[in-house]
Amino acid sequence: MDEGRPLFVQLAEQIESDILSGALPEETQVPSTNEFATFHRINPATAGKGVNLLVDAGILYKKRGIGMFVAAGSRARIVAQRRERFENDYVRPLLLEADKLGLSREEITALITKNITEGTSR
Amino acid sequence: MSTIVQVSGLSKTYGSVRAVDDVSFTLEENKITGLLGRNGAGKSTLMSLLTGQEFATRGDIRVFGASPVENASVLQKICFIKESQRYPEDFVVKHVFASAPWFFANWDADFAAQLIDEFRLPTDRRVKKLSRGQLSAVGIIVGLASRAPLTFFDEPYLGLDAVARQLFYDRLLEDYAEHPRTVVLSTHLIDEVSMLLEHVLLIDDGRIVIDDDAENLRNSATTVVGTRAAVDSFVAGHEVLHRESIGGLASVTVGTLDAQDRAAAAAAGLELSPVSLQQLIIRKTGTTTREFEQSA
Amino acid sequence: MTTTTAPIDRSAGGEELRRIVNVARLHLTNRFSLLVLPWIILGIIFAANLVIWWLIRTVAGDAAMQDAGEGMQFSGASSFIFVYMMVVAVQAMNATFPFALGYGVTRRDFYLGSGLVFIVLSALYALGLTVLNVVERATNGWGLGGRMFDVVYFSTENAVTQFVQFFLVLLFFFFVGAATASVYVRWKSIGMIFFFAALSFIVLAAIAVITLSESWGNVGQWFVTNGPLGVALWLLVPTLLSAIAGFFLLRKATPRT
Repeated sequence: MDEGRPLFVQLAEQIESDILSGALPEETQVPSTNEFATFHRINPATAGKGVNLLVDAGILYKKRGIGMFVAAGSRARIVAQRRERFENDYVRPLLLEADKLGLSREEITALITKNITEGTSR
Repeated sequence: MSTIVQVSGLSKTYGSVRAVDDVSFTLEENKITGLLGRNGAGKSTLMSLLTGQEFATRGDIRVFGASPVENASVLQKICFIKESQRYPEDFVVKHVFASAPWFFANWDADFAAQLIDEFRLPTDRRVKKLSRGQLSAVGIIVGLASRAPLTFFDEPYLGLDAVARQLFYDRLLEDYAEHPRTVVLSTHLIDEVSMLLEHVLLIDDGRIVIDDDAENLRNSATTVVGTRAAVDSFVAGHEVLHRESIGGLASVTVGTLDAQDRAAAAAAGLELSPVSLQQLIIRKTGTTTREFEQSA
Repeated sequence: MTTTTAPIDRSAGGEELRRIVNVARLHLTNRFSLLVLPWIILGIIFAANLVIWWLIRTVAGDAAMQDAGEGMQFSGASSFIFVYMMVVAVQAMNATFPFALGYGVTRRDFYLGSGLVFIVLSALYALGLTVLNVVERATNGWGLGGRMFDVVYFSTENAVTQFVQFFLVLLFFFFVGAATASVYVRWKSIGMIFFFAALSFIVLAAIAVITLSESWGNVGQWFVTNGPLGVALWLLVPTLLSAIAGFFLLRKATPRT
């Protein structure tokens, strides 16, 4: 976790990434708030806030007396959300940097095509 | 959530020195609060006042609903670990842990034994013969194993290396998660502990400068870096906390930015970087990083 | 939530007593330094004395030993116990006090618990010294005519009186030590300077008044009239004054470093 951004947001993103990668499959139990807190070395109240953020978003749900579980369909929803942000988070900064370096649109396209065919992105 | 400590208009003067100057705040139950500030800012005096060790010059202190001064029912629930704690002259380390249970109702001897082992504390050595770090470990173990409903740690890690400090932070967090209690942690090593804190009190020159949730503070400042002209035109209208420039470049720390601001900054080719709690506090207390670290 | 809980006291009085007794236990945590070490030191001094007495007897004969025995009465080889206990009281106020405050003890409970320890220790050591005194008399100075626990002036035939005298003198040293240390804890070195300046002034003034009024004879007479027990009982006055002063000094003291 990095210091500068709210930790509960970072924890929520981390859990989402774990769902996305399959580390936390749907309908399985996720670690408790205290386990998240001690693992990431953050305050339990902060960890609770991060978990609650995902409960409110319907990514996680509570089973009374048992714990927290990954909701069915969460992965697809996270994929959709991240796809929406992909342009903003990755494509635009890429173009801005390319502009600074004086790379032409053709050169950028060529670089991307080359990486796709070489399979570096997979 | 109920209030454990309520302070209003509190002042403590030594001669003409105002160690604590008209301070008001509350501490909520079962939160870890960081009491941050430079040395001499008034942290230790404030904690001594809250634990009835010092007498207030003015103002009102309520701890568990009553004045802590000479109040056994309040003080029984408090453990105060001081950086400069004195120990009885003839004490061997094991005497500290033998006597602690008589004063702390929640004392966990097994936990204490585990910590003694982890900190590699020689229990048969005289307290006077301990190194600075070992002395700190004694205080830390008492503070953790006492599980007092209100625990104060005043710079508890002097002389401890990074490994031992991390051990302290980890055990504090684990035990706090299992046995929630109100903890006040006074420190100048803000980067090390900031992730443990739920609330932050920043004291500077005897006054409370920040009293806010740690998460709010993490979001409260951003540094904008870019060409001087671009930065200047961007920060116009924002609260500027700090400004630095080298040649044609400027680095300016401003308050909270919204999504629109961020988009504008990106479009103007400006780099945005988050400000750590320690950086924010250094900005707010108007000191340089070096000065702050040297105040240790 | 918690694994252990303190036994719950039924009454507020019982709760208060528990706290005071806990302070007393705190002082006695290191039993060795308060209950064993003084006897060991005493034993070593005693053993050294036995050797000296034996040497004097063998070399110089019984008559010389008779003189030496009387000389021993003045040296008061056992009197280090009193100084030791005074130091115990000073350290209790100076080091154990700030420690106890960190443990959430009130100044009041600390002082009362300390006083309890002083009384118990005085009784214990008075008892031990009395027993040694009685044995010393019964064995004619350990079979060598030596005298170590039979202190000049305070010497008496009655074991009970002897015990009371030892007890009162020990109490005096404990509480005067505690009161003096309380001045230090309260006002640090400035307090010490004023305290000893005032004390010197009072002592010198008393000497001056007695000398100028040519009353030394009366002072001597006072000691003779009152006898050792009377004088020991009179010691209760400064002991009590010190105890009360110490209490009020410590009630407002802050553990500063």
